[in-house]
Amino acid sequence: MGFRSFLHRITAPAPLGERLNEPCKMVCVVNQGLKMGKGKIAAQVGHGAVMATMKSGIEKPMNLEQWLATGQKKVCLKGRDAEHLLALEKLAKAAGVLTTLVHDAGHTQIPSGSLTVLALGPEIEATLEEITGELKLL
Amino acid sequence: MAMVSTVDEPSMVFIARHDLKMSAGKLAVQCSHAAVSCTLNARKTHARLVERWRNAGARKICLRADDLATLQRLAGQAQVAGLVTYLVKDAGHTEVPPGTVTVLGIGPAPRRAIDALVSELKPY
Repeated sequence: MGFRSFLHRITAPAPLGERLNEPCKMVCVVNQGLKMGKGKIAAQVGHGAVMATMKSGIEKPMNLEQWLATGQKKVCLKGRDAEHLLALEKLAKAAGVLTTLVHDAGHTQIPSGSLTVLALGPEIEATLEEITGELKLL
Repeated sequence: MAMVSTVDEPSMVFIARHDLKMSAGKLAVQCSHAAVSCTLNARKTHARLVERWRNAGARKICLRADDLATLQRLAGQAQVAGLVTYLVKDAGHTEVPPGTVTVLGIGPAPRRAIDALVSELKPY
């Protein structure tokens, strides 16, 4: 550890809230109603992951810390269409899970403003299982 | 002159190994590993660039490389150019053996600097 990070560690404010002990994951649900190529999907999921990470750093720092410490596990699942993604978002919000919607700028492949990805978490795995348990892996 | 501003917008690029024949979901997860790690690392060293990149829509593109050697060569060149890089090693729970290098993330960095490195690669 460098001197500055050592100093930072002992002077930084204590994190808010309880430490989590269960493993966390992030789930990205991809809108399969759009015909996106593999590279396009990868970039959209990347958007969702970065946005969700930044959001959790502000709103749920303990989740972020636990998720990073346990190897930032991510899973990609199939969603039927935009309505399906929005329905899942509603469920997740009701369960207190952080949600992030990705809308495409429409430079390539699909119309501008399409809802491409719903990112959930980082959140305790069991909580996410209840919301996305029946969805298929992409 | 409008060209200049678009060329200068920061961008992030994922270079994925085409020889591994990953599924769409696998590829997406590996690229988002690179995206999150690059962003978090860059925030420590290039905070203003990261803000500029996010405000301009956080541009990301996914390109393909034929093999591991290409990824390693590009990672070296990017580091020499002073860009943020991250090589994703898979934990190997699915599809590929543990420790396989799957994706190279570069950026956020000025678009010109990235284009100079990856101009010969095709979109994935």
